[in-house]
Amino acid sequence: MPTATPSRGFAVRAWLRANTGPLIVVGLLALLPFAVALIDGQPLAEVLANQPGQAKFIQGLMIEVFILAIFALSYDLIFGITGLLSFGHAMFFAVGAYLSGIMIKSFGWSLAPTLGLLAVVAVVQALLFSVVLPRVQGVTFALVTLGIAEVFHIVIQSRELVGYTGADVGLQGVIPPAFLSPAAQRLRFYFVALGLAVLVYLLCRRFVDSPTGRVCIATRENENRALMLGYNTFYFKLTAMIISSLLASLAGFLHMLYQPIVSPGIASLSYTVNALLMVLVGGMGTLSGAPIGAAILRLLTFYFDKWFGQSSGFILGMVYVALVLFLPYGIVGTWKLRRFAWRSGWARLAQPLRPPSRDGERL
Amino acid sequence: METLRRNRTLLITLAILAFLLFTAIQGLSTRDWVITLLRGISVGAITFLVASGLSLIFGLLDVLNLAHGTLFMIGAYVGWTTYLRPDTLVDLLPPVLLLAAGLLLGPFWAALVGRWRTSRTVSRAWPWAALILAVALATLVFAQWPLARWDPAVAAQSPATYSLQLDQAIKAGQARAAPAPAAQGGLLRLAGAFLGSALLALGLAGFSAARYGGAGKVTGAPRRWALGALLLVTGVGIYTGDAALTRFLFGLDTAWLFLIALLVALVTGAALGALMEITLIRPLYTRPIYQLMLTLGLGVSGIELVQAIWGRTEFNMPKPALFQGSGAGCPATSIVDWLANGCSTIDVLGGRIRTYNELFVILIGVIVLVAVSVLLQRSRLGMIIRAGVQDSEMVEALGINVRQVFTLVFALGAALATLGGIIAAPSMGLSPLMGESLLLAALIALAIGGLTSFPGAAAGSLLVGLVQQFIIKYGQIGIRLPFLEQPFKPTPPLVPASTVLLMVIILLVLPQGLFGRKE
Amino acid sequence: MPDAILEVQEVHTFIGQFHILQGVSVSVPRGGIVVLLGRNGAGKTTTLKTILGLLPPRQGQVIFDGQSVQGRRSFDIAALGIGFVPEHRAIFRSLSVAENLKIAERARGDLDRKADFIFGLFPDLKRLYRLPGNHLSGGQQQMLAVARALVPDNRLLLIDEPSEGLAPIIIEQMMHAIRQLSAESTVLLVEQNFVVASQLAESYVIIEEGRSVQAGLMADLVVDRETIQRYLGAA
Repeated sequence: MPTATPSRGFAVRAWLRANTGPLIVVGLLALLPFAVALIDGQPLAEVLANQPGQAKFIQGLMIEVFILAIFALSYDLIFGITGLLSFGHAMFFAVGAYLSGIMIKSFGWSLAPTLGLLAVVAVVQALLFSVVLPRVQGVTFALVTLGIAEVFHIVIQSRELVGYTGADVGLQGVIPPAFLSPAAQRLRFYFVALGLAVLVYLLCRRFVDSPTGRVCIATRENENRALMLGYNTFYFKLTAMIISSLLASLAGFLHMLYQPIVSPGIASLSYTVNALLMVLVGGMGTLSGAPIGAAILRLLTFYFDKWFGQSSGFILGMVYVALVLFLPYGIVGTWKLRRFAWRSGWARLAQPLRPPSRDGERL
Repeated sequence: METLRRNRTLLITLAILAFLLFTAIQGLSTRDWVITLLRGISVGAITFLVASGLSLIFGLLDVLNLAHGTLFMIGAYVGWTTYLRPDTLVDLLPPVLLLAAGLLLGPFWAALVGRWRTSRTVSRAWPWAALILAVALATLVFAQWPLARWDPAVAAQSPATYSLQLDQAIKAGQARAAPAPAAQGGLLRLAGAFLGSALLALGLAGFSAARYGGAGKVTGAPRRWALGALLLVTGVGIYTGDAALTRFLFGLDTAWLFLIALLVALVTGAALGALMEITLIRPLYTRPIYQLMLTLGLGVSGIELVQAIWGRTEFNMPKPALFQGSGAGCPATSIVDWLANGCSTIDVLGGRIRTYNELFVILIGVIVLVAVSVLLQRSRLGMIIRAGVQDSEMVEALGINVRQVFTLVFALGAALATLGGIIAAPSMGLSPLMGESLLLAALIALAIGGLTSFPGAAAGSLLVGLVQQFIIKYGQIGIRLPFLEQPFKPTPPLVPASTVLLMVIILLVLPQGLFGRKE
Repeated sequence: MPDAILEVQEVHTFIGQFHILQGVSVSVPRGGIVVLLGRNGAGKTTTLKTILGLLPPRQGQVIFDGQSVQGRRSFDIAALGIGFVPEHRAIFRSLSVAENLKIAERARGDLDRKADFIFGLFPDLKRLYRLPGNHLSGGQQQMLAVARALVPDNRLLLIDEPSEGLAPIIIEQMMHAIRQLSAESTVLLVEQNFVVASQLAESYVIIEEGRSVQAGLMADLVVDRETIQRYLGAA
């Protein structure tokens, strides 16, 4: 068609215009290692040669953020978009890390077949989680998923499997391929992680905008209505679960490549809670909130540990409580509403002083 | 017949469980299975104390309180402190009481503020001023509060050392010497604490007024004044009688001191629960996920707070003298015998049962079970709770203040958890993470029993405790399985895994749990 | 109307972000029975809930017995003397019949005082007194729900769809009971069954898409075929 070319050009331009903000962020992130080096007075050649320095350190921190961002996005997909409260999400991540690590270390597989196997296993574990979906819902579903994940958490720590998993010390001694070594090729790893994070974000966006994603959102809002419209909500939940499992396993895979030791803690409830917090801090169901939440959480944890030492955990906990009270829709959600609720945050605390009037309930 | 048919799945499940228990007992000697059974019930009793509160709160308020494990842990630490260092309790009570008295003024401020007309700017600015002033005052006063401090980093002042000292004192049959009271400050400090909290209440009332407009009249004003005055007088009284009270407490028998510790833990739990519900949970009833996150955040913060005060290391709590004896007449041969001699163990069927772990804990569990059941089934409050579990909006429409009942239930649930903590402390020891594993066990018990059912919580806890203990026992002696030459020995990690497995299986057969109802 | 026990003035109510009531006014004179008519989803139940403060209005106000209930909590409003019989026979199934009645007491002894009146209206309940709520049949549950609202001295009863899903003979019984209890207190009724509504009520208010569109005497409405056709469908 003669009009195809101009209209495609127009579409690209419209897309660029609509996504200026995210694009700028990605651009800035791409420039970040060099910017840090400039500020630090390190020659750019050293950065390209992966010499130690502030720039390399920041890259490392940001790689963790990117990995967590993928993990948080995968959680937002089932929790924020589809409305399934799973307490076993850490297992998806841990399976990605442990399975690929064991395959590479103990069986000498290369990356490609490992990833292939991982994809298969990710689908299988999503099916395992979903088996109970038609029977149990809500908090019971959360508890069942917690149970399954907890069994996995216990199994990887058991002494019987110490040769494979390293039991409670964790999986170590996995040698990543030389071209993606987190130490020698840190900059390359940085861009790979960034690229994958962006790719996953776009994929999730695409999913949410697809008809399937729309039904998932409808299921979250009102499952009965979705059922009455003739959608078998189970299959939509299952789809979301499978995609989420694949993405979380990918994040776990990257985590395994990047970290010298994979600790069994990544399979525990607290790691799921991390994902939950990242999503909530960013704004649940917003997708763009997940990476933001991941960045905030990782950086806050890092700097609070540095500044406050022992009491950092307490302060972090208080920050969460404050966030819930003062930014009830998460960062992105609040931004979208253009309404910061500082005063009503205090009023919330004072609410017992008087009965709510009018729409006090909806604060 | 009808009942039988309706509960068919439940009955079959129970029959299978009974059969499993029966086979589990088969391989063991009488002595072994009696003791394992008692240990299982004991662990179940402690789990039940946590699970029952969780189920009450979840049933009525629809809040899964993930800070419940932390409350359990706090109960243990607060009880331990009362038990070992009553002087700290005596030092801390006055400011706490005065703070509470000051906060009670809140509704009066709100009513007063409602009558005060000012410009928009002023009405927006002064609450901030009051708040900042209150925080400054509190910092000023509490930074130099004369507190009998300890320091977990210094060996001589660490909790572990105090535990050891008390343990030796109990074994030697001596009373401990009361430490010298901390330096007494003037009453000015007390006034400062009261003023600080009053200002805080004023600031909050201001924010509330700016958002909703002022409140009308205060409900229950005379009761409030009376309670406030009582708190004030008690606070000042304890402050002036500090030294005498401390000496008295240190002179008490450990059994009495333990009883006081129980009461303090209960009251702390109730107060913490009520405070949590009123300030943090209540504003978020329309946002359940955020409530969940909030309880998680509070749980983590609580653990960190305890670590900051009591240190990260684990330590013990010596059992009261009544459960410690090993001298003449021990081990006891009957309960009467034990009460007379205060033995640590009783001989039953050739085995030895620890009086604290396997008798006292179970006794408390049974008492709580009966007491809460009676409360639920026989009292008006219980009737309201049972009705509210089904439909709290309708209860409100009948003219009943459901929110107040919510607060009460949250306080009750939290108090049960802290009670569990102090009961468990002498047998489990204290560590900041002790609540986590218990929360998991309680959640599993809850899911097994059917989330909102109180008898379900009891049955679930019992099952979890029994399964755990039998697996541990078989871990020691091994199970003879068909087709295996060697007996199979479940390893320690299988203990929690087995309860989780039990939960998943039961939920797949009965999605509502054993006692859950379909609505 | 000078002697209205309840005045609902131009209320706007939201459920979540949905603007359900967009200006409903109802005036209920003391004594007698008023019925809210309208199609499914028109906002009749929401109106009742707004009166009770279960869904506080954003605009407009509710005046009960000359007193605005603005800003009061539901339990406080109910305690002024308003009884509520919700739709779908919402009794407490886990409580016994006796407990279902006792829980409605506002002062000790309310039930003993009113027992004769209640059991006079619903003799069945006396026989079922000790039974758990979930053993009752649909009609019995509906009777219990109405009886529950009669335990305290309520000056106004809000009754939502009393005839819904009941057998004709039970409906007959229920209508008889409502007529009798309206001698003691005013009744604001929501009723889909026009035959039942027209036989019970003296006056009506029609609600259409969240607005009150017409009010008047039932005697006039019964002969007004056109209005019935327009707002209530075929009747």
